[in-house]
Amino acid sequence: MSSLPALFGVLVFTFLLMRVLPGDPAVFFASGPNAGKEEIEVIRKQMGLDKPVPEQLLLYLYDVGRGNLGRSLMTGQPVTTDLRDRLPASLELTLTALLIALVSAIPLGVLAALKPGSLIDHGVRLFCALGVCVPTFVSGLLLIYVFYYLLGLAPDPTGRIDVFTSLPPARTGFLTVDFLLAGDVDGWWAAFRQLILPAGTMALFVIAPLARITRASMLVSLGSDFVRTARSVGLSWWRIVVTYALRNAILPVITIAGIVFSTMLGANVLVEKVYSWPGVASYALDALLSSDYAPVQGFVLLMASIFVVVNLLVDVLYGVADPRVSI
Amino acid sequence: MQVRYYTPMFGAAAALVLLLAAEPALAQSRAETLRYVTGASVNTLDPNVPGTTREAFAVSLSTYDRLVSFGRKQLNGKWVFDLDKITGELAESYDVSPDGLKITFHLRKDAKFQDGTAVTAEDVKWSLDRCVTAPVLGKAQLLTGSLTSADQFKVIDPLTFEVTLPKPDKLALPNLATVYPIIINSKLAKANATTEDPWAIAWLKEHTAGSGAYMIESFKPGEQVIMKRNEAWNRGTPDKSAFFKRVIVQSVPEPATRANLVERGDADLTVDLQASDVQSLEGKGTLKVISTPQYNAVTFISMNNTIPPFDNINVRRAIAYALPYDDMFKAALFGRGTPLFGATWTDGKPTTSAYPFPQPVKLDLDKAKEYLKAAGMPDGFSTTFSFNVGQASTAEPMAALVKESLAKIGIKVDIQKLPDAQMSTQINEKKLPFFTEGIVAWLPSSDYFYRNFYTGNQRWNYSSINNAELTAIAQEARFEPDKTKYEEDGKKLNAIHFAEMPQVALWQPSQDAVMATSIDGYTYQFHRQVDYRDLRRK
Repeated sequence: MSSLPALFGVLVFTFLLMRVLPGDPAVFFASGPNAGKEEIEVIRKQMGLDKPVPEQLLLYLYDVGRGNLGRSLMTGQPVTTDLRDRLPASLELTLTALLIALVSAIPLGVLAALKPGSLIDHGVRLFCALGVCVPTFVSGLLLIYVFYYLLGLAPDPTGRIDVFTSLPPARTGFLTVDFLLAGDVDGWWAAFRQLILPAGTMALFVIAPLARITRASMLVSLGSDFVRTARSVGLSWWRIVVTYALRNAILPVITIAGIVFSTMLGANVLVEKVYSWPGVASYALDALLSSDYAPVQGFVLLMASIFVVVNLLVDVLYGVADPRVSI
Repeated sequence: MQVRYYTPMFGAAAALVLLLAAEPALAQSRAETLRYVTGASVNTLDPNVPGTTREAFAVSLSTYDRLVSFGRKQLNGKWVFDLDKITGELAESYDVSPDGLKITFHLRKDAKFQDGTAVTAEDVKWSLDRCVTAPVLGKAQLLTGSLTSADQFKVIDPLTFEVTLPKPDKLALPNLATVYPIIINSKLAKANATTEDPWAIAWLKEHTAGSGAYMIESFKPGEQVIMKRNEAWNRGTPDKSAFFKRVIVQSVPEPATRANLVERGDADLTVDLQASDVQSLEGKGTLKVISTPQYNAVTFISMNNTIPPFDNINVRRAIAYALPYDDMFKAALFGRGTPLFGATWTDGKPTTSAYPFPQPVKLDLDKAKEYLKAAGMPDGFSTTFSFNVGQASTAEPMAALVKESLAKIGIKVDIQKLPDAQMSTQINEKKLPFFTEGIVAWLPSSDYFYRNFYTGNQRWNYSSINNAELTAIAQEARFEPDKTKYEEDGKKLNAIHFAEMPQVALWQPSQDAVMATSIDGYTYQFHRQVDYRDLRRK
């Protein structure tokens, strides 16, 4: 509830920002051969741009209040439909990427922290540096080149599912989940294969912050009094590292993971473009380039809401990881 | 077995339905499917909706029929559309009255819409009325063929339809073969119209009601369109439907990925690769590459003839002689196209009446300096050169070369890269002094080009040229029935264009269609997209 004013602010700010940006959507979309002044006027009217800005804003807020985010000129669909179709694709990709990243980053960070300055530590540092330095579209194209073009192991990088595979009945919108619900193992495998390269590409990019923060906070927690005490009473190595050190070190990792997730969801546009992934980020970028107001505004609102939800989730996870924290 | 929230019976039935639905898809062999990948996307099923993308045009050509269509001809060994040969599509034949004011269409007796109802002259009238009355894109297009009002369309009997013209207009008939005047199943459309939307614009955006060669199987705006063959369609080769049973039009934004897909044989055809990729694919020799110069298009560097210093004719001429044409052609297009520079006019007069035409300009810095001196600016000036992000792959190297070369005659150029919507807005407002753009005409006759792109204070007059003589000749040529006189007019227009140098034509880029070697029948079309009905697999 307390986040509503923030969301409202985001809404109004994006609305005004889009109008301030140079670039008239009506002119752009009336680009067909022969489209003249008349066509531009028709589109302007359709988008409601013929009215003064304050009136447009009020109408927009009224529409948003009723759950109508407007219509995209680019796809010709209501923005809510577009976002509903595309958000699961982005979420599925981002969650998988985050999972891959966490599963690899936390052990890497722990290993690096256990032997600071060792070969392993430097190895992890190098790997992280590479992951961050190489832009995602480069690593994406590289992975496609190796696994699809040269080796032929990966399926063609065109979206969530091979065009020749029939889709499962949509329940969650997550293809891997829907296929399992429909009991279609082949379909699940096909969807999973499509997912693995883009998710890997995204994971590569975010392993670094996660591994670094795990390492740093593990170092603090390994050097703290309670670990020394645990060592002195002769607890097993595993118990010391995992139960005592890691559990205490995990809080900052959760915070960073929450932030990383929100950023990934909006910023994975390059990965979505390279793999023709029908997600929300590439949708928003296309809309921005063509000054298609409604989708950009809808996208920003969606991202802001997700950010709020993720923050809430992070707070809940805090409580799980550290019983002293209460919400 | 997973837990389900409905009864097992229903689950089993659903699984069975799923199985049955999947079966034909699996059985259908890959060879009978055409998979076409593109960087753009389809956004509507009705090509008349404002904002329609070019890919949507291509889909509508297959899902709808028009009264007539263009024939095809060979140009330098490649198949291209033929503006001068109009053949029947839904019309079996047509007669033009001796005074050129009446065109009578005789409809095919066997033509049926995809829902099985017969195509009648009533449907034709409703569709063409919609095209000139409703707020749709067809209106402005048909205007160029003197088709402006529903009164011009008359139903004679269920299979005969008549169009009346106020003046004999050469472009009336070709206009009916363009993308917009699709023939719609009027009963179906009317059933889905509302009082606010009597022309069913909203409904037709998401549904098709045509008689075309393909039916929509699934349509995901911005992602993909899957079409299946209409077995009853016989408007291409007589008595035969289209070749491919299924056509998949898929959006793949990354050009490198499209190149990989075609090279690996996963996709059959693409037409929008980067010139460098086409070059290397052609070198490998495993694919068929058909490069057709887009003979109805031209890429130019435009100057705004009303903004100083470009309002000075000598400045424009100086620019024309200071551009590094050959280097630009190689850097931007890898030489893939038809150059429009370096022509020789022996008696100083245009050699052709056609537009676009090669101009006798080449890089000659001394001449450029002389013109600058004549313009009273021997030390040059500063300006900006703009291009849009969408064209960056060709325009960026070009802009760098322009900057480098103009610096040699003292003109300082700042390169400005604009988002597409911003660029079109600034062009519309006539604010850009110096920029590159491209134009294309569906009906590439000289007068059409000159009327649309070089006259009037309107958006497509990129150079804002206002030359009374040019305007007069172009208007007159439109209705000139005599062929020799028309050609004279064309030459005169070209001569004025060269003398005034409102903008510098550079080249006609090639349309590089890259396809599997088994694909046959590709034809370069006026809309610069693929007509799926042309294609076969050997």
